Formats: sequence, structure tokens, C-alpha cells
Amino acid sequence: MESMGAVFDALGSATRRRILDLVKADPGCTVGEVAARFDVTRIAVMHQIRVLEEAQLLVSRKEGRRRRLYFNAVPIQMIYDRWTSELSALWASRMADLKYRVESRSEGRKGTKHGRNPQDGVEGRRQGKHRGRVA
Amino acid sequence: MVSRVVVKGSIEDVWREITKTDEPQQAIFNARMHRLGLAPGSPIRMRTPDNRYTSVVGEILEADPPRKLSHTMKFTAYDEPWCKVTYELRETPEGVEFTLTSEDVVPGTKTAKDMERGGPFIVGTLKAVVENGRPPLGTRLLYALFGLIGPLLTPKTCRSEHWPLEEPARGGRS
Repeated sequence: MESMGAVFDALGSATRRRILDLVKADPGCTVGEVAARFDVTRIAVMHQIRVLEEAQLLVSRKEGRRRRLYFNAVPIQMIYDRWTSELSALWASRMADLKYRVESRSEGRKGTKHGRNPQDGVEGRRQGKHRGRVA
Repeated sequence: MVSRVVVKGSIEDVWREITKTDEPQQAIFNARMHRLGLAPGSPIRMRTPDNRYTSVVGEILEADPPRKLSHTMKFTAYDEPWCKVTYELRETPEGVEFTLTSEDVVPGTKTAKDMERGGPFIVGTLKAVVENGRPPLGTRLLYALFGLIGPLLTPKTCRSEHWPLEEPARGGRS
């Protein structure tokens, strides 16, 4: 993903992370309000805000003469998606195993085989005896 | 709350992903959109692909294809105030800038929590769907799980019979 580098760079500064915290806690706050929380010059804070905007971590909206700031979590969501697929796969297969084990136990000695693929048998099982609960 | 991403694709394709009714909207929790039209006041129902459960209900406030869709909404699982979501699409040299904004969400509610997590999820997934033709692997697995265990976790109040697609949009009961 071409812009991921910009996201990590932007998050690499404690000042910029603090700006994100401030904006997240107060969506729609103005540049001036953010700048007032820092000892450095307004110009310096505006520069950091620009870096965050270029990384898409901040979205700004003009409202009259003011610029309101909003935290945008999408770049972080995409980093999450990028590295958690294997984890999700593991989690999904375990949940599926658990469901099949619980079902085969409650179905008694019918010897229901344990599905491995989360998609396996979903439709069929819905018609089963747990109708009231499962369906 | 504001969630934004730039999508490499046509503005019509992005618009279709958030308005189509002929197949589940993979960007929006694989829910199937049921609606009567796009006129202001028209009801919207977001339902499971099998039609049995309705997760979100709403009413169209403004539709300006393919640039803007705004509607009220509430989660059927919660007895909480209505809020408002707006999708804005804008063509830029880099692609379609897609922005999801939620307003009037009461802080501290379950709705607020779901919106905060759902917004970036929807926007990020939409980008993947338009650019790659499908959601990320983790999301696809999540949807498979929804189908598998979702019904076990879904309260009875979400059954679609309680939320018919008819005017007025707030006719359902929880």
C-alpha cells in the first residue's frame, strides 16, 4: 500500500500522536484550539497537522474561516487488515471447530463429522434440531 | 465521526457499493440493502443475506447520485436515539475521495461504540472491494463467521418481521 509509509512516519512523532489524541477526544476542534495546547508556535503545530493530513490520519473541513479537524481511523484500519488476516483465519477456524464440536455433542451419537471449513454445512445445519436457537 | 479514504476506481462503482440492492453490500457488513427508492423519507433496511434479521433501519434524507447519500439510522438491537450518516463521493486526480460522516451520535452509547468501529471498517473495506473486487481476507472470514454464529448472537428484536420495509420508517418496535 503506497501510503502506508506516510502513516507510519506520521505516527512516529510523539507530538503528532498527541495531536491525534486531542482531535479524537474533541472531534471538530479547530486548528487554533489544538495549537493552544502546545508551547511551540502555531506555525509548527500547523506543520504537524499537515503531515497528519497528508497521511490521511486527520481530515479537515472548512467552516467559514475556520478549519475543523477530525480523526480518521481508516489508515490504521488498513494497517490492521494488512497484518491480521492470518490471526483472523486462526480465530475463525477455532470458532468453527467449537461450533461443530458443541453441535455434534448435542446431537448425540450420530457421529457428525467435524467440519474444517467455516462455510461447510452452514446451510444444512440451520435446518437441524436447534432450529429455535440457531436459526 | 469522519472516515475517509481515496479509492482507485470510478465514482459510479463506489456509488453502487453503497446503494445496490441486488446483492449483499460487502463493504457494509455484508448486509443486503432493502429500500423503496432514494427519495427523501424513503425507508432503508439493512438485512442479513437470508433476509431474516434486520440490523439497521433508516430513512433517506438526501440522495444526489453519485455524490451524496445521507440517511437517518438506528441499530435495531439497541433502544437508542437515531443518528445520521452521510456518504460523500468526490472525484480527485488520485481517485474517488470517499467520506463517511456520522452525526448526532450520543457519546457513550452502544451506537457510538459501533459507529466508531464500524466507520473505518466500512470505508477501508469499500476501498478493497472496489479496487480488488473483494474485501480483505480477515473481513471475508469475519463474514463467514457471521453466517455461522451470527444467528446465535442476534437478539429476537432484530427479526425482520419487526422491521417491515414500509413507510413510516420508524414503524418498527423494539
